[in-house]
Amino acid sequence: MTLIAQFNEMILEQVEYRELLYQMTLRDLLLRYKQTVMGFGWAIFMPLVNTAIFSVIFTRVARIETPVPYPLFAFCGFLFWNFFASSLRFSVLSLTSNSNLVTKVYFPREIFPFSAVLVCLVDLAVGSILLAGLMFYYGIAISPALFFLPVVLAVLLAFTAGLALLLAMSNLYYRDIKYLFEVGITVWMFSTSVVYPVESVGGRLGQLLALNPMTQLIEACRSVMLYGRLPAAGPFTAAAVVSILVLFAGWQIFHRAEFAFAENV
Amino acid sequence: MSRPAVVFDGVWKKFRRGERHDSLRDLIPAATARLLGRSRPSRDDLTEKEFWAVHDVSFEVGAGEALGIIGPNGAGKSTILKLLCRILRPTRGACEVRGRAGALIEVAAGFHPDLTGRENVFLQGAIMGMKRAEIARKFDEIVQFAGVGEFIDTPVKRYSSGMNARLGFAIAAHLDPDVLLIDEVLSVGDAAFQDRCVARMRELIARGIPIVFISHNLPAILELCSRAIVVDHGTVKFDGSPAAAIQEYQLVPWTTAAGTNTAVSVAPIRIARTELLNHRDESSAVFQTGGALRVRVKYEAPEPVRSASITIDIHRGDGVYCAGVNSLMDKYDLGILSGTGHVDLMIPRLNLLPGCYLISVGILDNTVGRTYDLHNRAYPFSIMSDRRDLGVIYLEREWTHQTHAAAATRRNLVAAGKDE
Repeated sequence: MTLIAQFNEMILEQVEYRELLYQMTLRDLLLRYKQTVMGFGWAIFMPLVNTAIFSVIFTRVARIETPVPYPLFAFCGFLFWNFFASSLRFSVLSLTSNSNLVTKVYFPREIFPFSAVLVCLVDLAVGSILLAGLMFYYGIAISPALFFLPVVLAVLLAFTAGLALLLAMSNLYYRDIKYLFEVGITVWMFSTSVVYPVESVGGRLGQLLALNPMTQLIEACRSVMLYGRLPAAGPFTAAAVVSILVLFAGWQIFHRAEFAFAENV
Repeated sequence: MSRPAVVFDGVWKKFRRGERHDSLRDLIPAATARLLGRSRPSRDDLTEKEFWAVHDVSFEVGAGEALGIIGPNGAGKSTILKLLCRILRPTRGACEVRGRAGALIEVAAGFHPDLTGRENVFLQGAIMGMKRAEIARKFDEIVQFAGVGEFIDTPVKRYSSGMNARLGFAIAAHLDPDVLLIDEVLSVGDAAFQDRCVARMRELIARGIPIVFISHNLPAILELCSRAIVVDHGTVKFDGSPAAAIQEYQLVPWTTAAGTNTAVSVAPIRIARTELLNHRDESSAVFQTGGALRVRVKYEAPEPVRSASITIDIHRGDGVYCAGVNSLMDKYDLGILSGTGHVDLMIPRLNLLPGCYLISVGILDNTVGRTYDLHNRAYPFSIMSDRRDLGVIYLEREWTHQTHAAAATRRNLVAAGKDE
């Protein structure tokens, strides 16, 4: 009961500081726009290059079967995977790179990882313009299942935010995390249905990979956008429960530790 | 009566000395040690690497009160302020600030060099807890206060450090806080900007907003604060009027500060206390321009001392040396100083203009020119007056005016008479 009350308080605090969350997100977007020539173009360019590379591999070298044309399959996978991975990549450094704010001004520290996630959400929105173009090109019609997309996105957001909080915090205490993260995220990508359908991995390994919530979430995105059907109820519900638990636990841990951040930066 | 706006109740804060290692390599031995049952030391104990940065400090600041905190470097002043702003959490005890706390600590901490002044105003404003509409409303005022003018759309990295600090302070000054916390910000900017800052602080004090003010600028403490505490080694050494706190601070030979007390180690005579007395012979820290000031130097001389002289200096708060007198130069023979006693310097008309001043008192040995004892800038006082003179001293004066018109007319008449 006290956990719930505390969670309530944490959410209220975020509501109170919503303007700051907005300003911090705006800051990072503005900076990217000012510091780079391509600006938001990078949000399209990165998944596009990856898609091109893997399209060559999986349509010319080692042919694989996908429910929709491979470039579409891969681009959709990359778009949502990149949202997840970049959110975490920015979050890992979010507290340590803003150390002057952490040690000198008080506000809820959650703002840092949260704004990192929001910045990547904007990238996702920009990238989805190209996804719509590709869908049009390959003649994929939009189905009513698309109305379920907000639910899928909310679950993905919860999972990403939960991990973002944990990673940001742990990198503050142990700077090894940012290196470990780079290794971990690569392994994770290939354990997820980003560039190939993970179902095609058989045996024990296949069973193990099926436990990865990210596979369920990326597949759910493809389902509602490309396949025109709702995600498989059982696995998706399981992934949703895991995501909410991760957010809940991650936020609680972060919130309890945040008072000590200024001393540990 | 409502509760005070700032409550600092028996606060302790522990810090670690030495380096803390941030890699997993150090986690593993530490975690195994913990698992093996060597429990973590409790909150109240110190391990060898820890120390109390704040050691059982309590104070309250109510509405309309301005609390000054003074003390040598490393005494824990800034830690106290960080605890008040919730950047740090106390190890023990409670600290509470009610309402929106405006902290003038690192006023430009949130600035990003690549963003323009305008973008940074909105960002920094949000960091300080202002709403967007509120910032937009005060935007022109902030820019004007900062005096950055046409550079508002230039990236902050092109600003001079003074402009940077001024813009930061301007945002903070427009926060409309319920409580204002200030840490040594008056050192930024030029004299005109500092005057504007002090004026802004006075305005907030006048509105009854509680203020906690940390500064090494003792005259500013004397001028702005209604109460002051002296902090050393994390504990409160004194709590009282600003004038008394400054005396206390200046007289104790702080171990961390470079000795303000430059007297010889074993002196045959020392200054016990100095009192500033007004025309009614009452001890005071406020005097009038043209009023009387009696400086009473009480001494203790375990051995009889011949040929000593007393020096009294007056400095204005900003360091201007206003006056220095010495009994030897005045050819006043103190005679033999023995046991206890006091020497008075009577100034019948103290012709200083309004401001804060500090008196230094020294006892010198005339034979070899050494200092027996010195209380350097230890006795603060302020001068009140309704005079509008500028400068340091009040000149006794009179104006006269004599027109030369009558003489000229006569000359004209004489000249005209010659013509006729």
